[in-house]
Amino acid sequence: MLANLLLEVARSVDHEVAAQLPSALDTDPRVEALRHILLEPEQAALASLKEKFDDPDQFAAAVSAVLPAAIARAISHDDRLGHELTPVVETATQSSIRRDPRTLINILAPLMGPAIRKSVAETMDSSLQSLNQALKHSLSWQGLKWRMEAYRTGTSFAEVVLRHTLVFRVEHVFLIHRKTGLMLEHVAADQVSAKDPQLVSGMLSAIQDFVRDSFDESALGGIDTLRLGEFLLWCEEGPLAFLAAVIRGNPPENLHGVLREALDSIHDEDRTALENFDGDVAAFANVRARLERCLAQQEAPIDQGTTPFLWLIPLALLCGGAYWLVQRHLDGSAFEDYVRRLQAEPGIVVTGFERRDGMWHLTGLRDPLAADPTELLGAWHVEPERISGNWEPYQALHPAIALKRIQATLKPPSTVNFALDGDTIRATGTAPRRWIEKARTLASVLPPGSAHLDLSALGDVQQGELERLRDAIQARPVFFGYGDALPVPGQETIIEAQAAELRELAAASKKLGVTVRATLIGHADSTGKDAPNLGLSLARAEAVRSLLRKQGVDPELLAVRGAGPLEPLAPGASEQDRSLNRRVSFTVSILD
Amino acid sequence: MLQKKICMLGAFGVGKTSLVRRFVDTIFSDNYLTTVGVKLDKKTLAVGAETVNLILWDIAGEDDTSAVRTTYLRGSAGYLLVADGTRASTLDVACSIHSRAEAEIGRVPFMLLVNKCDLRSEWAIPESRLDELAALGWTIRPTSAKTGESVEAAFQEFAERAVR
Repeated sequence: MLANLLLEVARSVDHEVAAQLPSALDTDPRVEALRHILLEPEQAALASLKEKFDDPDQFAAAVSAVLPAAIARAISHDDRLGHELTPVVETATQSSIRRDPRTLINILAPLMGPAIRKSVAETMDSSLQSLNQALKHSLSWQGLKWRMEAYRTGTSFAEVVLRHTLVFRVEHVFLIHRKTGLMLEHVAADQVSAKDPQLVSGMLSAIQDFVRDSFDESALGGIDTLRLGEFLLWCEEGPLAFLAAVIRGNPPENLHGVLREALDSIHDEDRTALENFDGDVAAFANVRARLERCLAQQEAPIDQGTTPFLWLIPLALLCGGAYWLVQRHLDGSAFEDYVRRLQAEPGIVVTGFERRDGMWHLTGLRDPLAADPTELLGAWHVEPERISGNWEPYQALHPAIALKRIQATLKPPSTVNFALDGDTIRATGTAPRRWIEKARTLASVLPPGSAHLDLSALGDVQQGELERLRDAIQARPVFFGYGDALPVPGQETIIEAQAAELRELAAASKKLGVTVRATLIGHADSTGKDAPNLGLSLARAEAVRSLLRKQGVDPELLAVRGAGPLEPLAPGASEQDRSLNRRVSFTVSILD
Repeated sequence: MLQKKICMLGAFGVGKTSLVRRFVDTIFSDNYLTTVGVKLDKKTLAVGAETVNLILWDIAGEDDTSAVRTTYLRGSAGYLLVADGTRASTLDVACSIHSRAEAEIGRVPFMLLVNKCDLRSEWAIPESRLDELAALGWTIRPTSAKTGESVEAAFQEFAERAVR
């Protein structure tokens, strides 16, 4: 026994021994008995498990017990289970529909029915809304305008009406606890006053109850829509609370969606608070923001039918008209001023004027010596090219024109001045005698009624300075020696004096407008023959002229002549007489 | 801020509306009673440190032809039964309404106001009847809508019970 035991130990230690020696344990019934004693519970458990795995019914029962928990755990980990099951579910659904569609219909009917009804109702509502608006506006003036717009833009009239009238503002939103009718929250648009919202909420709730109670107690909702004048009440019903929105104007149908969304999110997030509500609204402090999102509004489109620029056209026309009238008036009064000025002008008589085709036409009489009418415009605001004058010439008796006529006829020297004294034209200053005589002739033939020409104050120029100079020059001959062509010494002072007075004479004659001429006449004594004496006398005159020129006398003024012995100063033949005759004498003639 | 829905119930003409008129804020006219069958008023009270708004649903009075719409009772935190002390039948109506109310919304705080206590000498309701009801656990308060006697106190007491 002990040896066998040792052999078994050796086998388990050394593989070679194990290979050579067969184990005695396999044949020993006691080993099996020992194993049975030691491992009985585990063997039973294994057998039971094996049976469960092998028997499909038992295995299914075991899996079904843990399946819900297993699925829940799998879903909580990730989405794989959902993805894996999708095709299976799809196939199953398809096969179910193929087999008996009624099953699915029965499942979906309670859901689809109200959903479809609601969708159809809202669509109808929207159509009716536009139809109502269209009818309402079809015959008004605005309606005609909108009809034109529809025609122009190629859209339906109903669409145009809807576009123009879809203007609204959500003024109040109440969140009301369905069971108690108590107000959970209330928001109002800016500058909208509200009566006690708690009471309004209660009353809304009461009215909903009233309607439900009166007509259909099983209905989930009560009143969907209430219209009062321009106000609209929209209610969105939920299982625990409802939203009531007070809207001014015509909201779009999608506002229902906005309200619905807000109500659904409140139900999702505050379900417990809604269920346990006992009057304490503190739990709903966070719903305010969600309700405020429902306070939508759409501004009325700005009426651009008439742009402000269109108003500028009549305004501009008005301004233009006013400007034209003012200008016309100013133009007219400026022209009348001009006509008055023409009337006051001597030598011009305006007999008529008129405005034709933007031009001023003047007719009248005008003395050719009168002022030019165009020049009289001066600072007047009338353009010369806008005036045409038809002037008949005539002779005016006005003293001013008479004076002009006298001046034009007589061409007076610059030394003569005229002055008007009433009807008398007075001439002052000096003039050559012949001019004065001409003037006297004219004065005597002036027409009766014309101005009188008074020449009494006019001085005769010949009596004056020129005559004095003439006399002085003529009284001073230049003397010569026997046979000499040059003056005797000591004659220089005489030459100088003569030159000075000749220059003075030239200046005076120029001033008076009178022509003077000084003739230098050379003389010889009677000694010798006449012919040489004539030449000598001319040479003496030339010599003096030359000396005078040197003294600055204008040679144009001087003429020379030789008289030989023919014009002696002294007729005797004595040496004294002869020396007196050897001279150059001066003759000054004053021409007119 | 707490809000509580409280209903005012009673027979026709017991003075429910008159009872609250002097003590409450309202924005609705009495016409609502005859049209919708209910009119809402608000009574603000202080209970301890808390402000409580009692939203009073003044429900149209019951008479031979019309019963109280019990729908309006749903969600009430309590109700006030009003009877006319000078008309015994109104107490019967109040009891009847009470049982229907209890059936509709279960046990909630309630109080019986016996109105017209200014006309105590003309009361037709025997004291014994009231004692019986008091023995059943009813809270009974005599009030006068005319003089205002006990009205404020009754509201205050009821508010405290409703909040508790």
